[in-house]
Amino acid sequence: MRRKTILLTGATGAVGRDVLRRLAARRDLRINALVRASAESPEDRVKTLLGAMDVLADLRAIRGDILAGSTLGVPADDLSRIRRDTTHVIHAAGSTSFTLPLGDARSANVAGAQNVLAFVRGCASLECAAFLSTVYVSGKRRGVFAESDSGDAGYGFVNTYEQSKAEMERVVAAAMADLPLMLIRLSTVLGDSVTGEVAGFNAVHHAIRLLYNGLAPMIPGGAGDPVDVVSSDFASAATVHLTEHAEAGNVYHVAAGAASDTLADVLGETVRALSEFRPLWRKRAVERPLIVPLDTYELFVRSVDDTGSEVLRGATRSIRSFAYQLASPKTFGTARAADALSQAGIQPTRSLDFLPRIVKYCLDTNWGAARC
Amino acid sequence: MSQTRAGIEFTATYLPPQTATVDELLRDGLLTGSAETLKAFGFSRVHLAGSETNVEMALAAATRLLEENEIDRDSIGMILYAAALGSSSTLWDAAPPPCQLARSVAHAHESAAVADAVLSFETVPDLFKYPASLLQSGLDLPHASVMGINQIGCASIFAAMRVARGLLAAEEDLESVLCVASDKFPPNQPRDLAYNLVSDGACAALVRRNPSRNRIVECAQVTKGALWDSGSIENEIIASYFPTATSLIERTLRKAGVTIDDIALVIPHNVSLRSWEILGRLIGCPDERIYTANIARVGHTIASDTLLNLEDATAAGKIQKGDLLLLFTFGYGSNWVSMIVEH
Repeated sequence: MRRKTILLTGATGAVGRDVLRRLAARRDLRINALVRASAESPEDRVKTLLGAMDVLADLRAIRGDILAGSTLGVPADDLSRIRRDTTHVIHAAGSTSFTLPLGDARSANVAGAQNVLAFVRGCASLECAAFLSTVYVSGKRRGVFAESDSGDAGYGFVNTYEQSKAEMERVVAAAMADLPLMLIRLSTVLGDSVTGEVAGFNAVHHAIRLLYNGLAPMIPGGAGDPVDVVSSDFASAATVHLTEHAEAGNVYHVAAGAASDTLADVLGETVRALSEFRPLWRKRAVERPLIVPLDTYELFVRSVDDTGSEVLRGATRSIRSFAYQLASPKTFGTARAADALSQAGIQPTRSLDFLPRIVKYCLDTNWGAARC
Repeated sequence: MSQTRAGIEFTATYLPPQTATVDELLRDGLLTGSAETLKAFGFSRVHLAGSETNVEMALAAATRLLEENEIDRDSIGMILYAAALGSSSTLWDAAPPPCQLARSVAHAHESAAVADAVLSFETVPDLFKYPASLLQSGLDLPHASVMGINQIGCASIFAAMRVARGLLAAEEDLESVLCVASDKFPPNQPRDLAYNLVSDGACAALVRRNPSRNRIVECAQVTKGALWDSGSIENEIIASYFPTATSLIERTLRKAGVTIDDIALVIPHNVSLRSWEILGRLIGCPDERIYTANIARVGHTIASDTLLNLEDATAAGKIQKGDLLLLFTFGYGSNWVSMIVEH
């Protein structure tokens, strides 16, 4: 039986790193991990990512860049071999920044995906190529967002990340007619549910930091609104399983879905964890942020803008980049993914159960400034 | 505590006659921030004490209260002198010698002893000369003992009234307590502070047993000492302001057994109008039930805002007998104080 050969883009990213670790622990796989050029060699970068773990897979770090055209910048020596052998692709590369200008976000997320599509057309053994997206292609839509729903449905987007990913999905969906592709929409990934380790600090972690520093007086939303976040171990396990075993031509939601906890509970647990892991923080008497209607939050933001205080402006700006999602409450339908994952017993961990570990990791590493 | 009824029977305020607009302050170098921002936040004009001292302003407010309401001076058993600024709790005026103060007090009561008490500031005993004693003498309140209240910033007059209420409950022979606050910014000090515009001014309140109006129903205070360094952590204080104010007001309402819908009028402190628009939404109080008319006209008079607004709202017919009022202020330190009174 031919060995599965997986091409992984974005191996150094927040989700890609966990996917790489999961793949590397398997003896039955050959992995080509695409790594962008840097001062470090691709091999060293991958070695750093994997740390002391036992690598059982046949793992090769390949220098490449998804923005480098249809060859992905893969050296000619490797190109034909990878095209010939690749059975699965996990395209995890892209930008997750919420604040990029739209042109830059499109370049990273749409043009990059187009190049990957062009690349996989040349992969003779391809069984499935999974493109990682986000459940937040739903934009400002409220209510239920199902796996069968299109991201770009006229509701508008909160940030350029959402918009560029929705545009990427259109490109991939159009190519599904003649290629075995799937879209995996991930929820917000917080970190490892067991260790609390955070591979990539995002806006939610930054919001926790603002809360810790007493600079988050209010957030928009409703106390009972769902907050959909997942652990990185669930996200990576689900991504790998779906890519290998689920039916191509579909969209899958890797999200907490109906099991999401409420905004009030997530906020309360965050405050409780900060108090538990930093007892002295209690002395600062930081008040729990208020959960307010969007128009009240916007009035506060406008006032902060008027004051010209750079610190407060920076704080509200960073919350603003995702907070409007909180004001557009929704539940992500996960029926198709749940069905596909149930065979392997993969299911999301409840956020309140692992959130304290994430908070502790943030505190212990000073939000990544001093990694454990 | 006993069920003693105490309330703010009479109030009086004093604002120095000299005023300046936001643009004039900018012209005179008395702003550090943007004049346009201050205007956008609802400020227009402030009152400046000039050569008047804080004690002179306190005397003016208290004298007005006593004379306009024909108060029997023998009935006042205590003066609580509340000072927001550290300088206000001394006789220091940042412009020695304080001869003008001495002259004005001496003139009022033809008392050379009073005048002598403030003529010299050059010896250690000068550090033991207090505004409260000077007030007692200057106001001719021989039966009033005195006490000073400070270190709670602009919330000092609230603390004084709260203490007065407690004293009236505890001491049966005490009939009424005169609470006075007066603050004056040091000369040439910029008038904008944390995006607010500061006036000089004074206020007085007679807190009385069995009052005919403004019965104090409930009062509550939150102090967050970690936020004491107002200069270096202004952003944290601003961020903390809204959630703390909201939770305190909600707690005060709960303690009083009422809801915000039962409050006829919120009597605020004169900080930015925008901040009251926000806080009003947070506590569920529509703008028209928050008395903000004085923000533009007067600005933030440090400790005197709330009594000034109570007085003006009453005079303007905005308050009816039996109305429940929510008084609120914030003082550096950091302190949030709210009080519910029944008019």
